[in-house]
Amino acid sequence: MTGAIVEAKRKGTNWLIVPGIVWMALFMVVPILMICYVSFWTQTTFNISSTPTLASWKQFFSSDTYIGALWTTIRIWLIVLATTFIIGYPTALFVGLFVKSKTLSTVLLVICVIPFWTSFLIRVLAWRPMLGKEGAINIILMKLNIISQPIEVLLFTELSVIIGMTQIYCVFMVGPIAFMLGRIDRNIIEAARDLGAGFGRIFWKIIFPLSLPGVVVGAIFVSVMVLGEFATAGALSGRKVNLLGNIIVTQVGSLKWAMASVTGVILTVVMGIVIAAFLRIVDLKREL
Amino acid sequence: MATETAIFEIDGVSKSYGGVNALDGVTLRAGVNEYMSLLGPSGSGKTTLLRVIAGFEVPDSGRVYFEGRDITSLPANERGIGFVFQNFALFPHLTVRKNVAFGMMHGNTRVSPSEIDARTQSVIDMVGLTGMEDRGVEQISGGQRQRVALARTLVMQPKLVLLDEPLGALDANLRGRMRNELRAIRERMGVTFLHVTGSETEALAMGDSVVVLDRGRIIQAGTPDGVYSTPASPAVAHFLNRFNMFDGNLSQGVFTGPFGAVAVTHATQAKDDVYAIRYDRVQVQPLGAVTSGPALKATYIASEYLGSSVMNYFETADGKLCEVEHHLSLGAPETYEPRQQYLLTWAADQAIVFGKEGKL
Repeated sequence: MTGAIVEAKRKGTNWLIVPGIVWMALFMVVPILMICYVSFWTQTTFNISSTPTLASWKQFFSSDTYIGALWTTIRIWLIVLATTFIIGYPTALFVGLFVKSKTLSTVLLVICVIPFWTSFLIRVLAWRPMLGKEGAINIILMKLNIISQPIEVLLFTELSVIIGMTQIYCVFMVGPIAFMLGRIDRNIIEAARDLGAGFGRIFWKIIFPLSLPGVVVGAIFVSVMVLGEFATAGALSGRKVNLLGNIIVTQVGSLKWAMASVTGVILTVVMGIVIAAFLRIVDLKREL
Repeated sequence: MATETAIFEIDGVSKSYGGVNALDGVTLRAGVNEYMSLLGPSGSGKTTLLRVIAGFEVPDSGRVYFEGRDITSLPANERGIGFVFQNFALFPHLTVRKNVAFGMMHGNTRVSPSEIDARTQSVIDMVGLTGMEDRGVEQISGGQRQRVALARTLVMQPKLVLLDEPLGALDANLRGRMRNELRAIRERMGVTFLHVTGSETEALAMGDSVVVLDRGRIIQAGTPDGVYSTPASPAVAHFLNRFNMFDGNLSQGVFTGPFGAVAVTHATQAKDDVYAIRYDRVQVQPLGAVTSGPALKATYIASEYLGSSVMNYFETADGKLCEVEHHLSLGAPETYEPRQQYLLTWAADQAIVFGKEGKL
């Protein structure tokens, strides 16, 4: 009887996911399969044919440029993940846990999102007049007589890429963590205090474990976006930092479809591994 | 100041939130090994009082003493006072055993691992959770969570345990059982319980002493029997929820109410003139019967079977609801005709009268 009702309900609601499935199939599954397929095509200077070959794969793994880009991508991803976490977690702790009023914590979260009111490119390019040799930071430091020579490593280095990415992606770390922290029952923290635990113990044994699902979600957001990045590196590194994303852009620009596909497949696999690893840390199904 | 017999004492504690007085000069003390219930309606400040004692709130004025020591500005984690939350506030990511052991593992007193294990196990056995040690606290029932909350607090061997409506989240059947267990556990441990509740039956049944709180002030304190039989004010009588209360006018030893003018031998000083008669002290007579005490015409509406007694509901001419309780131990209940008028009567000396005139 109840089984029949559930069955009828399922039939009635199943169509809700049809548009999603159609969309994802057409614009995600099929393109990914196409990329895998194209990566085995034969590339000549001005042409590409569907004759299967491993040439592009061999070229990727034998070239220092491509392998170097892979390691740079992974290095920058790990550094940005660390910086967004180090800056983001205390911010989230303040917004989600220490601000008692729900209204104020919502306002603070909205403030975090204000940079997103302008376009991505402007946000990235705005770092140039900040970090440049004659940029704001150098001018201020020189006026204060802290330095006598402008700091040149600020712009067009890996450092500038990391600074830019941290600023852009930090909010994706703050949001999920603040959300999880906001859901912690304040009585639980009081109970821990009542049992004699100081703030350090309460943080490490209660608050941090309970916020972990937020950390994982935030880390997945940041990872997916940083691993696929090319614009920040393009605008702030002076072409010195090549990420897998930049390789794809260059290859597509010179119509090297097979090589672009190989890089795309490798990037997708790396992202898949990263997401799977994060999901192993915590059972999101149970927590959310 | 605090004497040796008092485990805790609060002296003139006030606390207000945004201009509203949650606590207004509360002074209270409890002895060693005592079960004190704190009764009050919601918003009476009873939870605030508990939170001040536990150290979660700092009072605006007044002092708090525990074991003779002024702890007003001592942080909660250094007070050693147990607190059992209404929603239990268990650590959701830990097992039953880890919840219970939390205070010993992460608290400010060093306890050896073997002692942690032994004490955890013995308190888990005491509250009847043997075999549940490795379950997550989300996987156990409400009653079991209540026991974990209690075990987690008791394992710290506090001298004073504060319970904030600890039975409020349980169903009626479990509530009855936990009442008995709470009393038994307390007696075995020899600690003082301060039990906050909004339920008058719970307060009367459980406390060695009962404190009634209203709008941030203590309006009566005494034994359950004393509070029950001689409420100090109409407000207390009202919270006890055991009295038919009539407004009227007390003048020169005569109370004039809906039942006419009745001579009063004794009245308690109060702001308003109120005549209160307990539900189970009212008799129902047919209309026209000769009565010795005051009598009031009322229409029978309905009755409610309560197991050990029957509650009959009557409506007076001016629309006031009167309740008459008949204990089944006194014999089978009478049956009354709905919408028929009866005469409610009682012995005049069993009424409790409050009045501006006060004692006569």
